[in-house]
Amino acid sequence: MTAIQARATHVHTSSSHVSFGRQLRSELIKLLSVRGTWWSVAIVAVLTIGVAVLFAANLPTGMGNPIMVIVSPVQFTMLLAGILGVISVTGEYSTGMIRSTLTANPVRGGVLAAKAAVLGAFLFVISLVIFLVATVIVMPILASNGTPFDLADPSATILPILAASASMALFALLGVGIGFLLRSGAGAIAVTVGIIFVLPVILTLLSAFLPDLTWLIDAADYLPASVAPAAILPDENQPISAPVAWLTLGAWAAAALAAGWAVLRTRDA
Amino acid sequence: MPKRSVEDMITAEGLSKRYGDKTAVDNVSFTVRPGLVTGFLGPNGAGKSTTMRMIVGLDRPSAGTVTINGAPYSKLKSPLSEVGVLLDAKAVHTGRSARNHLRAMAATHGIPSARVDEVIDIAGIGSVAGKRAGGFSLGMGQRLGIAAALLGDPHTLILDEPVNGLDPEGVRWVRQFVRHAASEGRTVLLSSHLMSEMSQTADHVIVLGRGKVLADAPLPALVRAWTTARVHVRSPRAAELADAVSGREVEVVSSDQFTLDVTGLPASRIGDIAAERGIAVHELTPTSGSLEDAYLALTGDAVEYRNRAVPQDAAQQAAQPTPEEVRA
Repeated sequence: MTAIQARATHVHTSSSHVSFGRQLRSELIKLLSVRGTWWSVAIVAVLTIGVAVLFAANLPTGMGNPIMVIVSPVQFTMLLAGILGVISVTGEYSTGMIRSTLTANPVRGGVLAAKAAVLGAFLFVISLVIFLVATVIVMPILASNGTPFDLADPSATILPILAASASMALFALLGVGIGFLLRSGAGAIAVTVGIIFVLPVILTLLSAFLPDLTWLIDAADYLPASVAPAAILPDENQPISAPVAWLTLGAWAAAALAAGWAVLRTRDA
Repeated sequence: MPKRSVEDMITAEGLSKRYGDKTAVDNVSFTVRPGLVTGFLGPNGAGKSTTMRMIVGLDRPSAGTVTINGAPYSKLKSPLSEVGVLLDAKAVHTGRSARNHLRAMAATHGIPSARVDEVIDIAGIGSVAGKRAGGFSLGMGQRLGIAAALLGDPHTLILDEPVNGLDPEGVRWVRQFVRHAASEGRTVLLSSHLMSEMSQTADHVIVLGRGKVLADAPLPALVRAWTTARVHVRSPRAAELADAVSGREVEVVSSDQFTLDVTGLPASRIGDIAAERGIAVHELTPTSGSLEDAYLALTGDAVEYRNRAVPQDAAQQAAQPTPEEVRA
């Protein structure tokens, strides 16, 4: 083991102080330097590309917008985005890292904002890259099936891909908020899975047994997993319009972050 | 409080922390001054760690305030370069390498990566800097925590049990490091349950017990006030000597026919008395109490802690830092 020495510093640190930009950098270093992040990215990539290829190879002719084969895997990968958001927070609590984070920046709102911004931006960029790669891969498959992308129409190509990437970012923010709210990894993941996957099933079942409760059926339309398709690929058959869908998805993320912030600013770390 | 300079001081006033109906810290007031190593002593559960966590804003006080350089920790513009904090070895993500942990910490303040390399070097963790912190031994984790505390070259160091788990070389380094930091005029607050280590490191001691300040005094004054100096004497005519030295305020204890333990007279006086009477003395050893004795006297009464004020004039006399062991 190296001997430790006691000596004064040589590198000047006098100009150092906290800024939001520096916090973003710190959060990005933290996000990129743990394996869980790259596992999540790998799973999202495999799921997205795998499902896209599968759908593309079996797309019935005459199916509306072929870009749906690229963006429909969001229905699964949204959960991974949420979980990555959760573990980026709960990992800090379970290891004690949060104490280092909060002593480096005691302004807790700034810590939450920086983490949320980095998670959202990271999920947007990573998803965009994965969707574009998936697009390139399925292009020849779709062309050979006679259902190629309409490259001239942005609403049949880049717009749904951007929308899907943005919704992945919002699901990550939902996870960040729930992570700060609950702090425990198991609990926060359970709640995230509950909101995204379990609640729609429960509401569907309930409304099947209690068909008189129409508000229940309406409420189910505003769950995150229900509004995401309407936001990504708007069409007249969706029960809610694209702007309402975006507003609802944004409200879920905002509510989760607000709840997380309320806990973070008042509770002892 | 007199309106003195608040530069580089930690000031707690009426600080309390309650968890439900349990009071962890009870109306604690103290000042940690620059240029000194101040030791935080107390049994487990005395409130040392809770107090330190309140100083750096992790826990919110139930009552009272604590400031660093006159401001609450949360108002510091550059926390890492004002205060270096080591709370416990477990403040690091186990899945991240030591270097990446330090890079992420440094990034919040725009501290250059050259400084990250430097603290890795100073703390002696160069060989493991690329490894995941989860696999670190307690000692290595402690060194990483110390490296993180040093990142901003802070004026104030708050170290909770810094030598916990360190090997003897590491213990010695921490001691020399904090003595050196204090000699440069920095403010150092450290806790330790190792009494001998504390007596070699601290200039000033704050003893906590059951969340209250039991003593707040320079270490020599504390030891003097809470221990008794005695002189161990061996003489073939011990019984005769015992009669000769006896008097008011003098207590003589004899364990066998040749030895005496005298309290209340200096060794020189005992030697003089023996010489006057022609009594041979084979041993004349003054023994003073240790910090441990003082600590046990202070906290030993399990039913209710006693409180005894250290004489204030003695407290002020001994407030000067001792320059010994400053050289690294």
